[in-house]
Amino acid sequence: MKKTDIGVVGFMYGVCILFYVLSLDLKPEAQTYPHFIMLVLAILTTMYVVQMIFQAKRNGVTSGLEAFEGFLPKQFFVVLAMIIGYLVLMYLVGFYISTVLLMVACLLFLRVPTWQIIISTLAILGLIYGAFTLFLGVKLPVGLLFK
Amino acid sequence: MLETLSLMGQGFIHALSPMNLLFAAAGTAIGIVIGCLPGLSAAMGVALLLPMTFAMPAETGLIVLGGIYCGAIFGGSIAAILIHTPGTPASAATAIEGYQLTLRGKAGKALFVSCYSSFWGGLLSCISLYFFAPLLAQLAMKFGSPEYFWLSIFGLTIIAGVSSDSMLKGLMSGAFGLLLSTIGMDPIEGAKRFMFGQSALYEGINTTCALIGLFSMSQVLILAEKKIKERAKAAKFTDKLAITREEAKLLTPTILRSWIIGNLIGILPGAGASIACFMGYNTAHQFAKHPEQFGKGSIEGVAGSEAANNAVTGGSLIPMLTLGIPGESVTAVLMGGLIIQGLQPGPELFTRYAPMTYTFFAGFVLVQFLMLGIGLLGCRGFAQISRLSDAILIPSVTVLCVVGSFAIHKNFLDVVIMMIFGIIGYMVRKFGLNAAAIVLALILGPIGEKGLRRSLVLSGGNPAILFSTPLCWVLIGLCVFGVLSPIFMSRMEKKSVEKAGGEDISAETAD
Repeated sequence: MKKTDIGVVGFMYGVCILFYVLSLDLKPEAQTYPHFIMLVLAILTTMYVVQMIFQAKRNGVTSGLEAFEGFLPKQFFVVLAMIIGYLVLMYLVGFYISTVLLMVACLLFLRVPTWQIIISTLAILGLIYGAFTLFLGVKLPVGLLFK
Repeated sequence: MLETLSLMGQGFIHALSPMNLLFAAAGTAIGIVIGCLPGLSAAMGVALLLPMTFAMPAETGLIVLGGIYCGAIFGGSIAAILIHTPGTPASAATAIEGYQLTLRGKAGKALFVSCYSSFWGGLLSCISLYFFAPLLAQLAMKFGSPEYFWLSIFGLTIIAGVSSDSMLKGLMSGAFGLLLSTIGMDPIEGAKRFMFGQSALYEGINTTCALIGLFSMSQVLILAEKKIKERAKAAKFTDKLAITREEAKLLTPTILRSWIIGNLIGILPGAGASIACFMGYNTAHQFAKHPEQFGKGSIEGVAGSEAANNAVTGGSLIPMLTLGIPGESVTAVLMGGLIIQGLQPGPELFTRYAPMTYTFFAGFVLVQFLMLGIGLLGCRGFAQISRLSDAILIPSVTVLCVVGSFAIHKNFLDVVIMMIFGIIGYMVRKFGLNAAAIVLALILGPIGEKGLRRSLVLSGGNPAILFSTPLCWVLIGLCVFGVLSPIFMSRMEKKSVEKAGGEDISAETAD
């Protein structure tokens, strides 16, 4: 049994409870199907809990953190923050400006040589302009500040 | 019969139009590039480029996606042969013999054999696509609401068992996806369900955004968590990209055997190209004229693996197109593409939309020829691309995920949904759950719900209607098979990998 599986089980029960609470606002006819699915999920999760207990008795308990071997927290969370910041920035200043900023900031942080940063940024911008703006005619976000 | 032949002919005429050819070539080339990058997978490539096909006619869009699929499966062998890192899991067995050939200065020969075998594997798989798909579609014509309910359950049982370390976790993933599929309007009562105050969720979670998040954005997070690796320099090769007539003769039986293996594995839901490559490789070893060369660089080994993994492509489209049951992650994504084009997998594809379907089939045949041409002409260039650093892939793929999900409805909420699914996808992969099962449940959930609830309305609430026809019982039997088959599949895969001695060669991406 992996300790991390406790989190998985907790998450699944949490989802069931959240959806159950939300479903109470629905009219009774509309509740049946979601309740059936919640029941299935809860039963499967409970079966998994039983399996975990048997596994723990038979093979002992492991941390389950092997999946995170080689995990670099600083790099991961900085990149994740950059991506989330990119979405916020896109909402404010539009797609192209925020994309240039993300590409440059992320590539600089990951220590990519300058010439590769320039080429990659231009290539991505060119690809998106050609494929999405010219070919598909998608109006990409211009940003709240430029509306 | 004559009508089918005429549809086939018309399909080729349409597929050979300059626009279709151009897009097929572009799709194939993009697929090869994605395949030869060890950080990216075929499913991810198809998901990422799905939004670009929206503006195209349905058949052109599907040809492009088919090109990416086939190209990526072949492209994985380039990195496997030249840098001993399979671009996709489907090329893991190719790396064993391919890299040995490279070390012996025969990289050109290995690449030619890989391309040549992939071409034949893919081309021959089209035969079964043409032959079996209409037959299965005829059977599907007899389906009513109860059968559709069981069919969706069958699809879920199959995919839930695939590629997760525990079957229960796979089934939990499927049930979680089903619950997410209830977000949006109730199909019978018209009530708003779990919309969190967002009117954009009226039609439910956008499947494409979920696909992009689960397969592509999650891969960005996977790449971001580890030290950026400096990839080995691709071996420069000076030998000719060619084989002799005797070698071609030697490879013919291997390719034919691998075609049958790959095709059957493709048709069987629950198995994919990563299993086929090892089975093809082992069978090639078993029947090889020169078994002593295995482990030292055998062209038969490369051919066995590559013909089998590309033979999966045509086979896996059969259950997806006819029954709406995708056998693996890539076909689940392709099915999403089909639905987004307003088409429903099933018999209608072979009646009302038959011209479109046969154009896609013809395009799929042409893709194999394009793969051969582009693969042979461009493999020196593709070899250099395979060294592209993950550091560049991280922001580039992020931008493509964002723009792709935004382009669907020009709605920022879709980008947020994609991001949420990206994080879910990352956690799912880390904790051994199954992203493909979630996607499939999102796709099949509404079909199953409609089937179940319409059946109950028809029978006045009597659930016996779900067991009322022989077809229902056949499908129930298949559901039982669906639950049990992953156990056999994983045993088969383990045995094949052990026999091939391929434990030390791991791909950097999941299917």
